[in-house]
Amino acid sequence: MGKASRSKSQRRLVPSPAGGPSASPGWTRSAWLTPTRALLIGLVVALITAGALIGVSVAGSSSSSKPSATTVTGALATDALLHGIPQRGNVLGDPSAPATLVEFGEPQCPICGAWARETLPTVVRDYVRTGKLKIVFHGISFIEPTKDSDRALAALAAAGAQGRQFQLLDLLYRNQGEEGTGWITDDRLRALSDSVLGLDVGRMLDERSSDATKAQIRESARAAAQVMGEHLRTPTFLAGRSGGQLSLMPVSTVDQLGPQGFPQLLDQMTSR
Amino acid sequence: MSAGRLRAAIAALSLAGAGIAAYLVYTRYSGAAIFCSTGGCESVQNSKYAEVAGIPVAVLGLIGYAAILVTAAAPGPMSAAVGVALSAVGLAFSGYLLYAQLGPIDAICQWCVANDAVISLLATACLWRFLREQLLLARPAPR
Repeated sequence: MGKASRSKSQRRLVPSPAGGPSASPGWTRSAWLTPTRALLIGLVVALITAGALIGVSVAGSSSSSKPSATTVTGALATDALLHGIPQRGNVLGDPSAPATLVEFGEPQCPICGAWARETLPTVVRDYVRTGKLKIVFHGISFIEPTKDSDRALAALAAAGAQGRQFQLLDLLYRNQGEEGTGWITDDRLRALSDSVLGLDVGRMLDERSSDATKAQIRESARAAAQVMGEHLRTPTFLAGRSGGQLSLMPVSTVDQLGPQGFPQLLDQMTSR
Repeated sequence: MSAGRLRAAIAALSLAGAGIAAYLVYTRYSGAAIFCSTGGCESVQNSKYAEVAGIPVAVLGLIGYAAILVTAAAPGPMSAAVGVALSAVGLAFSGYLLYAQLGPIDAICQWCVANDAVISLLATACLWRFLREQLLLARPAPR
């Protein structure tokens, strides 16, 4: 220790005006709260805080089996992802974009959820926001209990009438539960819808049974049957130049669905 | 190392950690691309582990580093003890997130690894500072 700092520390240890020795400003050795006790209390608080953070995170990450009906995560991220992008019904992006990506997705499908969470942000940022691509989403229902998926598809189509289908879809996938566990409830959909900025939830709930909603669901089912026949599988993608013949994307590996592989495949499909 | 330099080092490390956290907060809310040489940043940042109760982990990190910066600015053993406690929370949670990257997420984000390095050094510096303050207290007052 240098001479200067030694004398500084010695200055700190001179008796305080109150009479007791003072170690530093605001600190007296006679106080019950010694530095050692403060450290022990601090470490106990740290242990509890770290345990609580990890506990909440573990609970959130394992919520895939059956998420809480009212806890919604990712609302701000969803808004940041899609804010300002034109949207009409089940189409996201500039309607006159030179390329088109069609996605057939199932609300309970875990791979659809993973694609939405991990790859869609890259596609939106690099292709949709830049006006190169529009995305058409066709929601289909075939995973049991199909009434749960049907419930989600009706809400999505109704949100589409307000230009918010992709926000609700993105939030649904960010908060996705395990397939077949009954996690898509009315309460769940209401909580997710409440987190979509700009969505009139009351109107959306009313329009779930409207003719326009039913027509979109029928149209998506018809399009899926035309592409896949009776053997429905999701996610299935078509891509190509807008206005031309769209082709089935040959996605056969996990990497081809990822944020690096999918754009490469998309480039190949849309440059033909 | 003198007390002043130790506190300066803690402040510098806090600023480095806050910089990493701020960058991740910016990319999250702006939709900007994350600069990533490891290829797994998007997967990690879009995973369920990137939020705690709806709050992005990067925001929690930013708050934590700011709090440690405050302890570095304040002299005395009490602020040193608080610094140790705060850095211990950060170190424990960073360890958990590293486990999540290696296990469930199966992707590595370079920014998280850089944060792990910063918080490890920071926790060491904070503990060093506290022990040093303790040694000063243990010395008898000069007569």
